[in-house]
Order: sequence, then structure tokens, then C-alpha cells
Amino acid sequence: MSEHDKIRELLALAAAGALDEQEEQLVARHLRECAACSAEQETWSMIGSALRRLPTPQPRANVVERARAAAQIRLAEKFEQRWNTTVIACLVAFAWVLTVMSWPVFKLVTGGVAGLFDQQFHHGWFLFVGFTATVWVAGGAAAALLSLYSRRERRLA
Amino acid sequence: MSWESGFTVDSDVAQLRRGDLDALSALVTRYQNRLYRYLLRVVRQPAEAEDLFQTTWIRVAERIGQYDPNRSFEAWLFTLARNLAIDHLRRIRPESLDEPFGDSESGGETGASRLRSSEPGAYERVASQERSSRIGESLDALPVVQREVLTLRFEEEMKLEEIAEVLNVPLSTVKTRLRRALDRLRVTMEVRFPGETWQ
Repeated sequence: MSEHDKIRELLALAAAGALDEQEEQLVARHLRECAACSAEQETWSMIGSALRRLPTPQPRANVVERARAAAQIRLAEKFEQRWNTTVIACLVAFAWVLTVMSWPVFKLVTGGVAGLFDQQFHHGWFLFVGFTATVWVAGGAAAALLSLYSRRERRLA
Repeated sequence: MSWESGFTVDSDVAQLRRGDLDALSALVTRYQNRLYRYLLRVVRQPAEAEDLFQTTWIRVAERIGQYDPNRSFEAWLFTLARNLAIDHLRRIRPESLDEPFGDSESGGETGASRLRSSEPGAYERVASQERSSRIGESLDALPVVQREVLTLRFEEEMKLEEIAEVLNVPLSTVKTRLRRALDRLRVTMEVRFPGETWQ
């Protein structure tokens, strides 16, 4: 391919401002010497200008407002969801801390001071595990029901 | 984009990431015309572009947590819009991703003729508008991959790197698509409007 042909291929990209520095210099040098390519470049420039001057269509105002409102509602929901997740995670962590801390209290109540240092397995374990499991299952079920209820409310709204 | 407007966008995006509804509203206002224009160029049907416009902003609200502030918000926004538009075309008119529509498919009405100009129709601009309309019509006849690269470069005035990001292709592919799109646009114009000077 001759230099002339190579330059011809670059002229469209030149109109799009898509040449690198080296290509730009190459094209500029060639255009100074070649009238045919200069005319070709002129045509590409006109096409480029016409493309840049195309009318800008505008969305209807009610479409923009509807999009804005829908996006804002979604954003608010998203952040409310994030806040709820954070609160629930903190509550769960707090509940686990309370659960672990209640074990020594439970031993103190059921076995006195000596019971605190008693490492033997006894029926108090079953009571404690049963109590903890009941509380967590009840709490989990309540949270699930609340979540379902809130989802249904949102759907109806 | 000027330094000042770039700063405002960054500030609005930062606030949006913290859940600020007013920042979202400001971004919708700022990008409404450009985003709609891009979507209309890709799907060509105003009703579909309007639906996609709304879906894009909902997607922005949903995914703003995933946006990397070190990247261009504009490129990210147009990437979301493009993905939705291409998915839509793939679902509704898969053939449109390969070949341009014939005139019969839009009932003889072209996308260019459907565009409502934001400029007032002054008499002295009629000739220029005529030419714009013709070039818009020729643009409309190109395949979607060529239409979108031309609109991103010439109308949105995006940098090549940003276009590569939106289209998710290497820079060299952007250049190749640009060149092919311009070549095809010129051939289409010469066939449809022989003798037109485009000045």
C-alpha cells in the first residue's frame, strides 16, 4: 500500500479527531503536497461538522419526571434496606454478646459461686441451650414475619 | 467538560453514593438530553428510548454502590444505558444488532424525522436543518454498532478511551469501528442524496 493510500485511510479518522500525534504529522505533511487528499479531507471535515451539528432530541418533561421519581424511590429503598441490614447485624451481634455473657450468670443462679468454677457437664447445660435456642428461633421467626409483612406493604403501596 | 462542571459532577456523584436524593435529581437534569439522545440513536424508537431512559436511572440508583469513583461517571452511566439498550434490542429485535432496518420497518418515518430539535426553527437555519436531517437519516440507516460509535464520538464528544470503556472493546477496535462507520455513512449519504455538498 502506497503512502497516499495509507493517508486516505486516515482521513476519516482525522475528521473524528482520532489520530495519534505521529499519524497527525504524517497526514499534515501529505496534505501540504497532495491536492486530491486535501479535497478529500475537506469532505470528511464537512461530514464531521454535520454530525456534530445534528439536532439534540429532548425527552418529554413528564418522562424525565417519572424517571427521576422512580430512581429516587429506588435509591431511598436501597438505602433503607442497607440501614435495616446494618441495624439487624448490630442487634444480632448484641444478642450474641448477651447470650454468651448470660452463661456465667445462669451458672451462678443455678449452682451458686462454686458452680461458676464447675467444669462438669450437667443438666443446666440442656436448660441453657434449650432456652437460647427457643429465644433465637422465636426471634428469627418474628424477623421473617416482619420482613414478609413489610414487603407486602411495599408491594401494595 | 469544564473543570467546574467536572467538579460539580464529582460532588453530585459523591453525594449520590451517600444516598442523597437531590444529587440524583441534579444528575438526571444534567444528563437527561445526552442520555436520551444516545438511547434514541441506539434503539431509534422514542417510546423505547423513554422506557430505557427510566430504567437506566433506576439502574444507577441500584448500582451506584458498585461505581468506582476513580473512573468517569459519564462512561459508567453510558455503559449502563448501552447494556440495557443492547439487551432490549436482543430481546425485541435481534436482527437489528446485525443489519440496519429498511425504510418499510419504520413505516417510511425515519429516526431523524422523529427527532424534535431543541433549537428554534429560525428561517435562516432551514437549509442547515435540512442537511442535518439528511445526515441524521443516513446515520439512522447504519447498523447499531456504527451508529453508537458515531454518536458517542461526534455528539457526546467522548474521548476514544471513554468510548472503549462504554463499548467494552480495545481502543484499536474503537478506531476501526469509527473508520468503518464513517466510510459507510458517506456511502449511504452519496447513494441517498447524490450531489449533496454537506457544507
